[in-house]
Amino acid sequence: MFKLFERKILSVDEISRAQAGIDVRDLNVWLSNKKVLNNISIRIPKNRITALIGQSGCGKTTLLNSFNRMNDLNKKHRCQGEVWIGDRNVYDKKEQTANLRTQVGMVFQTPNPFPMSIYENVCFGLRIQGQKSRRVLDDAVENALKQAALWNEVRDRLFDSALLLSGGQQQRLMIARALALAPEILLLDEPTSALDPLTTLYIEELISELAKHCTIVIVTHNMQQAARVSDYAAFMHQGELIEFSDSDSLFTMPAKQQTEDYITGRYG
Amino acid sequence: MVNQDYFKFKQSMVEAISILCMAILFIFLFAMVVFIGLQGARYFLPSAVHSVTLSYPQSLQEEYYEISYLSAEELAQEYQTRFQKQFRFENANIPQVSVRTEADVVHLKTHLGESILGKVRTLTSPESNTLNLENLDDLLATTELLKSELGEVQSTILQPLHQDIATLLQQDVAKDSPALQEKYQQFSRWQTYSNSIDQQLAAYTIELVDSHGNLRQVPLASMESIIFPNDLGFFDGIYITFSKMMAFLAQTPKQGATSGGVFPAIFGTVLMVLLMTLVVAPFGIIAAIYLHEYAPDNKTTALIRIGISNMAAVPSVVYGVFGLGFFVYTLGGSLDTLLFDDNLPSPTFGTPGLLWASLTMGLLTLPVVIVSAEEGLRRIPQGLREGSYALGATKLETIQKVVLPMASPGLLTGIILAIARAAGEVAPLILVGAVKFAPNLPVDGEFPFLHLERQFMHLGVFIYDGAFHNQLDSQTSSMMFASCMLLLVIVFLLNITAVIVRKRLRDKYERNQK
Repeated sequence: MFKLFERKILSVDEISRAQAGIDVRDLNVWLSNKKVLNNISIRIPKNRITALIGQSGCGKTTLLNSFNRMNDLNKKHRCQGEVWIGDRNVYDKKEQTANLRTQVGMVFQTPNPFPMSIYENVCFGLRIQGQKSRRVLDDAVENALKQAALWNEVRDRLFDSALLLSGGQQQRLMIARALALAPEILLLDEPTSALDPLTTLYIEELISELAKHCTIVIVTHNMQQAARVSDYAAFMHQGELIEFSDSDSLFTMPAKQQTEDYITGRYG
Repeated sequence: MVNQDYFKFKQSMVEAISILCMAILFIFLFAMVVFIGLQGARYFLPSAVHSVTLSYPQSLQEEYYEISYLSAEELAQEYQTRFQKQFRFENANIPQVSVRTEADVVHLKTHLGESILGKVRTLTSPESNTLNLENLDDLLATTELLKSELGEVQSTILQPLHQDIATLLQQDVAKDSPALQEKYQQFSRWQTYSNSIDQQLAAYTIELVDSHGNLRQVPLASMESIIFPNDLGFFDGIYITFSKMMAFLAQTPKQGATSGGVFPAIFGTVLMVLLMTLVVAPFGIIAAIYLHEYAPDNKTTALIRIGISNMAAVPSVVYGVFGLGFFVYTLGGSLDTLLFDDNLPSPTFGTPGLLWASLTMGLLTLPVVIVSAEEGLRRIPQGLREGSYALGATKLETIQKVVLPMASPGLLTGIILAIARAAGEVAPLILVGAVKFAPNLPVDGEFPFLHLERQFMHLGVFIYDGAFHNQLDSQTSSMMFASCMLLLVIVFLLNITAVIVRKRLRDKYERNQK
């Protein structure tokens, strides 16, 4: 009976380069002259949901940010190693970050809608890309909002200010905004930490739905959420990747003592 | 328990002191506005004309008319106190003062701004010289007709003729050629005609007797207004007040800035401020964007910031001296040698003028704009920038599409502050181009329409100048106060506009405004 809900889950070691959505090789990152990530190598599988767990300050967000080079915004940032998305090295000198970020979408912890209408928020990325055709924009907005399960709530007030939406709606709007660019990868940085349980559930459902078309990496502090939502999970501690495996094994029979301590709440 | 009481006492003391300080501040602010408002409003209200008679003990008698907002008794009282001080040690010499208010005294104003007080004796027309005030309206209508006739002849016939002759002369046509001769004849014919109208106009006069019994004849054509200040109805009073306001706003200063209006000063102030804004707004905002968005977070940047704060503290007269030395003499002087070589040694740009004043004021207000624009940029949450970057926007696009629209209230505040400061500044302006009286506006119908090299009038400088006038003469000092009031009103209006615009932008761009 449970077969119905199961998806085909490969064991981590079997993930080939072709099946990897993001391939991180020996990544070291320093922020403000402090080493934050220490020799991380991880293959994040394509079109699956991967959760990053670990206590605050262990480098989850930094790892997430290195996938779309958001770390570059920190002026004292330095990094070593490679991050491969498809057949391109993200940290290649020729890589254009703006272009990269259209393909690697990101949703932040707190919703940060622009002070514009809902419509303008969703098509912001497309407009930046130079898309001017009204019809294309209209279609993209509708699709993105539908994918983010927000369409029914805002269809009548697309041109109202996005700041008038509730917190959960705003967070879904943020997801829609990222989806409007049709990214290959969607990075979610604790997307539900500021939301109530019911809205959280909404967004979790949404995330499972989205995994059909894109690779999702989610950072979360909520063990239950990580267990519920993700196909794979990685546990990090003080800048090191301690354990990475499919969620079932990680949450039921972790290989390392540290992981077990963390998920059972003995520290962190 | 004791501690508790002491704590409460301390609390209430702090509260009381802060309220007291606030109250004192408000009293001063309020007093300033009320004082300026009252003194300024006095200029517009109609004031009575009293005839003052001073009889000295040595049987000398002096009689004259005086315009005053005081009543007859108050004026007499004022004279008494003044003389008591003046003849402190020779009490016997104190003159007798008697102040009368006569209903038939008129206050006549000429187009040149001269005020004449007296009683009407006769009105004269070419036909009769014993007319009285009942015929005034008829005579005025006739002079108006003649005046418009004269104006028409001058503008439609004489001027074009004059131009034709000028063009012919420029084309080196011989002096005795028939075309030129004919033009000359026409011109002299029409000129004779216009002279005859002039003479007719001069025959319409009004004759006043002043307090000494002297006669004074004024052509009706040069009379602007005539009122009976001691015999005004309520609506006459209102009419006079409004016409004085209109004159104040629309006319040029006359009679050494004792009558007329301040239109050139308003115009000059607004134009200077406008030009300054055009210079300072882009520079200030771009500098703030560099400092906040691009500059590395190091010692050089900190040094630049300190420098800007210090620039804001430099006394304004220093900016004036710099403007004079650098803009006017150096920059203007080299411009003259480069572009206006023909006019030398008389300078074109190498003399104080509108452009240099605007640039100097721009320099003076630049730190204000930079500091408040940077403050505006700092208020924008980092999350919004990250959101924009995460959607594939470059830094430039993020600044253009997200940062600048959201920061617009802050940017605007800085610009308005700069404008308010420039509108009220005096010291540097005196050095770089503002003058007491400028006969020509900096904008006119002559190419290139905006004359940046011209000197201009400025409300602040006008007030500064007015403060040196004789304060006993109530009319002139009131004109200074009226200008003060106008300046206050302008600055208040500017600030209110800024507040409203800022509120609108905030409603539009800031979070959690439901």
